Amino acid sequence: MREDTLPHIFLGKVKKYGNRVALREKEFGVWQEISWNEYCRHVRHFCLGMMELGLSRGDHISIFGENEPEWLYADLAAQSAGAVAVGVYPTNPPAEAKYVIGHSESIFVVCDDQEQVDKVLEVKNELPLLKKIIVMDMKGLRNYTDPMIISFEAVEEIGHKVDENDPEMYYRTVDQLKPEDVAIMVYTSGTTGPPKGAMLSHDNVVQFLNNAAQVIPQYDTDEIVSYLPLCHVAERIMSVFLPLNSGATVNFAESVDTVTLDMKEIFPTFYLAVPRIWEKMMASVIVKMKDATWLKRKVYQACMPIGEKMAEVRLAHQPISLSLRIKYGLAYLLLLRHLKKELGLLRARFALSGAAPIAPEVLKYFHSLGIKVVEGWGMTEETGIGTCNLPGDIKLGTVGKPIPGVEIKIAEDGEILLKCNHIFVGYWKDPEATAKTIRDGWLYTGDVGVIDEEGRLKITDRKKEIIITSGGKNIAPSEIENRLKCSPYINEAIVLGDGRKYLTALIQIEYDNVAKWAQERSIPYTTFKSLAQNPEVYEMIKQEVNQANKDFAQVETVKKFRLLDKELDHDDDELTATLKLRRKTVNKKFSHIIEEMYSTKS
Amino acid sequence: MGILDVQDISLNFGGIEALNEVSLSVEPGELYAIIGPNGAGKTSLLNCISGFYRPDKGDLLFEGKNLLRFRPDQIAKLGIARTFQNVELFANMNVIDNMLLGRHHHFKSSFFRNATMGYLSQEESEHRHRVEEILDFLEMEQWRKHLVGSLPYGVQKRVELGRALAQEPKLLLLDEPMSGMNLEETEDIARFVIDIHQELGTTIVLIAHDMHVVMDISERICVLDFGKKIAAGTPGEIQKNPEVQKAYLGEEYESVMEGGTGR
Repeated sequence: MREDTLPHIFLGKVKKYGNRVALREKEFGVWQEISWNEYCRHVRHFCLGMMELGLSRGDHISIFGENEPEWLYADLAAQSAGAVAVGVYPTNPPAEAKYVIGHSESIFVVCDDQEQVDKVLEVKNELPLLKKIIVMDMKGLRNYTDPMIISFEAVEEIGHKVDENDPEMYYRTVDQLKPEDVAIMVYTSGTTGPPKGAMLSHDNVVQFLNNAAQVIPQYDTDEIVSYLPLCHVAERIMSVFLPLNSGATVNFAESVDTVTLDMKEIFPTFYLAVPRIWEKMMASVIVKMKDATWLKRKVYQACMPIGEKMAEVRLAHQPISLSLRIKYGLAYLLLLRHLKKELGLLRARFALSGAAPIAPEVLKYFHSLGIKVVEGWGMTEETGIGTCNLPGDIKLGTVGKPIPGVEIKIAEDGEILLKCNHIFVGYWKDPEATAKTIRDGWLYTGDVGVIDEEGRLKITDRKKEIIITSGGKNIAPSEIENRLKCSPYINEAIVLGDGRKYLTALIQIEYDNVAKWAQERSIPYTTFKSLAQNPEVYEMIKQEVNQANKDFAQVETVKKFRLLDKELDHDDDELTATLKLRRKTVNKKFSHIIEEMYSTKS
Repeated sequence: MGILDVQDISLNFGGIEALNEVSLSVEPGELYAIIGPNGAGKTSLLNCISGFYRPDKGDLLFEGKNLLRFRPDQIAKLGIARTFQNVELFANMNVIDNMLLGRHHHFKSSFFRNATMGYLSQEESEHRHRVEEILDFLEMEQWRKHLVGSLPYGVQKRVELGRALAQEPKLLLLDEPMSGMNLEETEDIARFVIDIHQELGTTIVLIAHDMHVVMDISERICVLDFGKKIAAGTPGEIQKNPEVQKAYLGEEYESVMEGGTGR
């Protein structure tokens, strides 16, 4: 049996595991199990159905929706047919969705519900190549008469008939695949320009899986919760590639709002989150503890230092004294175990933070709780993970050593260059950008960093985002921003100061937590805006900023800041679909506030 | 003849005339709205239909049966469900239990039978499944096990809507489902009302204050003022009706009727 393309690996697992659980989806309050055989049946029928509707090798389809088993069926079905599936962020407004669907030349778009269908219909006239809109959940679409709309089941039914007539057809189609064929296309989030479609071949993914498996093993007993957008390469790896390789079970949360509840029912063993989520989790524990009863607060105050001590000793690989062991055991029983349970991470064997830089303080907090979160770094353009801290070999503040097969070096200007056997095929319809990114076999990552004496990589910042003050000092804003975001009251921070005398910041408060803080002090407010404009809130945030400033050198401290009176939003073009900041838009939009911070004499 | 026929209903509280010979007829499968200024008698009319008040004069026919002969609980059993302007839920019970209560009339085994011959859990799980379908329909999964009293007002309104749906009614009476909600919550509820109407085919009588929403979603509208029906017709007709304009005088006519500012 071949194992050089993803569908082949998939079929291998279907043969091996048969009726074992492959996927779980919560429906009507009950976890519904989907076996490998059923998984395969869905993929097979959907693949044949799409081919019957006109999908052929080399075509593109878009998948536009939240994480659901159907997302994976559509992805693997497209790959099986030799076509390429592109993910569109479910939060994308119609114009951005149109860009991806149109630019990728998709002939089908698979939507999860009415919301996405409406968005596609809005821009349908500008998508001449689009032939069908395939819908997973037909709720609310009864009165839609557009002939392009067809339900997911109907496509599977078409495929079912084809399958009955010719049961070998699917397998023959899969066997036509070549390792160098493009498997998936991932649109980069586009913080600076329009998104670019990075093409990854089957060979890229297979090589990556083989390399990653050596240092980050995943087993068929592992449980994964799929909840980050599947359009991003990180979640694609977590929910599709790794489990296909290992046989682990993927669980789909009921809806985006229930992820934390569902986590507590599944207790994933293999878990990936982005820094924003780790920050939120940390803030939720801290804020809840402030509210807790006297006894609980005392237990928290008594046990956390023990956890911190243990984390320090463990991270430094020092011997653990007997007294610390006993104290830690007690702290674990009294507090840490319960917090881990509350966060849904009781069984987390491997917890990863990636996709954006995270403050070491946040990581340390989780280590104190006994959740050994490791930070990794990677690029879509090299199929996901480049370097990673490994359990038992962690240094906070670095992104670890390169995984096997990956070679890194630092260019003269500080840019990180990367070489490996899973560098992407190129950008779709953009050979110019491809040539700029891959030079002499090295991938120019656009990140600036240093390698320490142990061979660990430390990321400074994105190359384009480095701030040079008028004093000529180079400053990495993300480091300061992440430190600010450690505060439970700060949701987003934007540090500014390029070409200026000193640094300033725009800060967006964390609405829920600040609202609670205000209620406790009987500070009246009605909306986000009125809360952000309240002088007492400003004073409170000022203390938080001063606290953060203590950790930085004089030139790196934030001298002035303003609170944003609106929440940054993807719909308003201030954030990307992955909630990364679009600095250009933000700078332009709030230029009057920024200028004011630099103009006043005081 | 419609699914619901209100014939010359009058209702007095002492000297106050809450309703004065109001007649209307709701067709099966219709989304019918009753609007009017404060104190026009909208809720009184709804209370008459659900059996809370007994009109002094007139007849109420539901599928040809005279509702005046039934108690409120019997009326519910006939297939009329309602929500309240001010949420009336069991604050110390969770969302699921509140909604299961809505299925009271569908439970076949009695309390006595369960107490003496063993509990029929099979039956409960069937009802629970129905409730879960409604939770899914109204997108309330995240609050399933929350105590109703701890939920925000907008969500409580949704729970109440869910409880009414759990009755599997033929006729759904909604008393100001959007009152006290912010724009986003209003839009959500409006979408659910449309979905209920289209997907489940339920006949809906909707009382509302928010003209903008009513004009958008309802098929026919009846306008009450000081207990009298002053107009009835399609949203287009109502917008042009001079009587209605007069009733709403005092409010800025254009913005209210044309939906200019909407709220």
